Amino acid sequence: MSANVSMRDALYEAPGPKTRRRVAIGTGVSLVLLVALIAFVIRQFYINDQLNPKYWSFFTRWTTWRFLLRGMFGTIKVALMAGVIAMALGLLLMLGRISPNKALSAACHVAIDLFRSLPSLLLIYFFFLVIPKYGIKMPAFWMITVPVALAASGVLAEVFRAGVNAVPKGQTEAAMALGMTHGKITRKIVLPQALKIVIPSLVSQLVVVVKDTTVAYVVSYPDLMQNARVLISNYDALVSMYFVVALIYIAINYATNQFSIYLAHRQGTQVISRTSENPI
Amino acid sequence: MPTETATPVIELRHVDKHYGPLHVLQDINLSVAKGEVLVVIGPSGSGKSTMCRTINRLETIDSGEILIEGQLLPQEGKELAALRAKVGMVFQSFNLFAHKTILENVTMGPIEVLHTPKAQAEAEAMELLRRVGVDTQAAKVPAQLSGGQQQRVAIARSLAMHPTAMLFDEPTSALDPEMINEVLEVMVELAQQGMTMVVVTHEMNFARRVANRVVFMADGQIVEQNTPDEFFDHPQSQRAKDFLDSIKGH
Ligand SMILES: Nc1ncnc2c1ncn2[C@@H]1O[C@H](COP(=O)(O)OP(=O)(O)O)[C@@H](O)[C@H]1O
Ligand SMILES: [Mg+2]
Repeated sequence: MSANVSMRDALYEAPGPKTRRRVAIGTGVSLVLLVALIAFVIRQFYINDQLNPKYWSFFTRWTTWRFLLRGMFGTIKVALMAGVIAMALGLLLMLGRISPNKALSAACHVAIDLFRSLPSLLLIYFFFLVIPKYGIKMPAFWMITVPVALAASGVLAEVFRAGVNAVPKGQTEAAMALGMTHGKITRKIVLPQALKIVIPSLVSQLVVVVKDTTVAYVVSYPDLMQNARVLISNYDALVSMYFVVALIYIAINYATNQFSIYLAHRQGTQVISRTSENPI
Repeated sequence: MPTETATPVIELRHVDKHYGPLHVLQDINLSVAKGEVLVVIGPSGSGKSTMCRTINRLETIDSGEILIEGQLLPQEGKELAALRAKVGMVFQSFNLFAHKTILENVTMGPIEVLHTPKAQAEAEAMELLRRVGVDTQAAKVPAQLSGGQQQRVAIARSLAMHPTAMLFDEPTSALDPEMINEVLEVMVELAQQGMTMVVVTHEMNFARRVANRVVFMADGQIVEQNTPDEFFDHPQSQRAKDFLDSIKGH
């Protein structure tokens, strides 16, 4: 049995009685703390008169929700597009970084570190303030999407690289011994295995992209946050609106996370079903 | 011993290699004639794997020359890849492509490197898998096979490239004892069919049965070489005597 399979099986080890008791205690304590926290928040809302119906009544109107939903779709559109661009660019940057061509590798290394270390807000200001000075006009959608994608591409390149490094060296050596070239080895042997390894972290990284889109107001793009701000000034209802918006963001990211858990789980069951039919 | 007049299939001339301060290969001179079976033996850490891996440049060398069929081993690129395709390699840890089926493992080289049409590559692969006795496993993935089966597939994968020589780096060391023989049988058959082979192994019976020559390495040097019977029954150097005592003790 190969070592990496047994290592992965270890991750699925069933908890023993001690672990189960510890998990039960932990769950109990967290539940009590959660209830206390909710009570505290409601009490604070009450003390500060935030439960006053004038802050909540407009949520009964369809127009409010329509506006918020539009914002939500704006957010999802930017996040999806930025996510797709970031994955493609991140993959290319990583391939450049691991290429035997020293100059290309160095250039990609610099680009990755640059995108990774610059705050996305700074990149957004660059596209919002600097680029137009050179006569290049971009729609608001792209002014938010491109910088968010660039910032994420640096991180994703490193995620991909971690996946590539996780593929055992023997896989590459066996392909080299067959006479395969670097490009072919990357495409046929390394990438297919690396991508499988990183799918869950890739999807989790999309959560970061979703969060990065919240500064779209800088370029006046009507995302969830921007539309919420409009409603806030219309109804003078800051706390209640941000409360609802926060719930929507949590819902979006919860869905994203569930998706990644589903993918990770499917991965796990694949490994298990493959090994369970072992003929020995 | 085979005659040295024809061009050797593999030749190492004054090969030196360091890992930092460690002089892992020290002035290695070795030539393997066509059809010859060479067994390399020696204590762990003596540089056997390193020497084996320099022959298809999985490890670079500091100085000296390595020639395959009289041709200097290219340093990089397509030329190196082309030469590697001619030298098969079987690893201790099998290294089958984990995401491919057994059949795909064997057709990978012919399709991607030799550009053999898929149908032909598959027919040849099935024939090779039959030869090593794992044709019934063709649709499975490596993790579903036993170690002995995986190693036989690895041998078939190398053979699919029609190599002029094959390198084996301790092909049975990772196997449970009951699986060692099924792999050795395949190797014996290969040797008898005239394959040029360099085999790093401590399997003395295998060496006595098929090796033309045993090379004993210690501390990065070739200490002595002889026919298997001469080497095992009358080792010349004290190091070889000590080593043989240590492995016979088991
Ligand atoms: N990549 C490496 N970096 C540094 N030292 C190495 C490396 N590979 C092998 N060595 C060292 O080189 C020596 C020879 O190793 P190896 O060729 O694997 O020996 P053998 O196969 O005879 O057991 C050992 O001392 C080993 O620790
Ligand atoms: Mg070794």
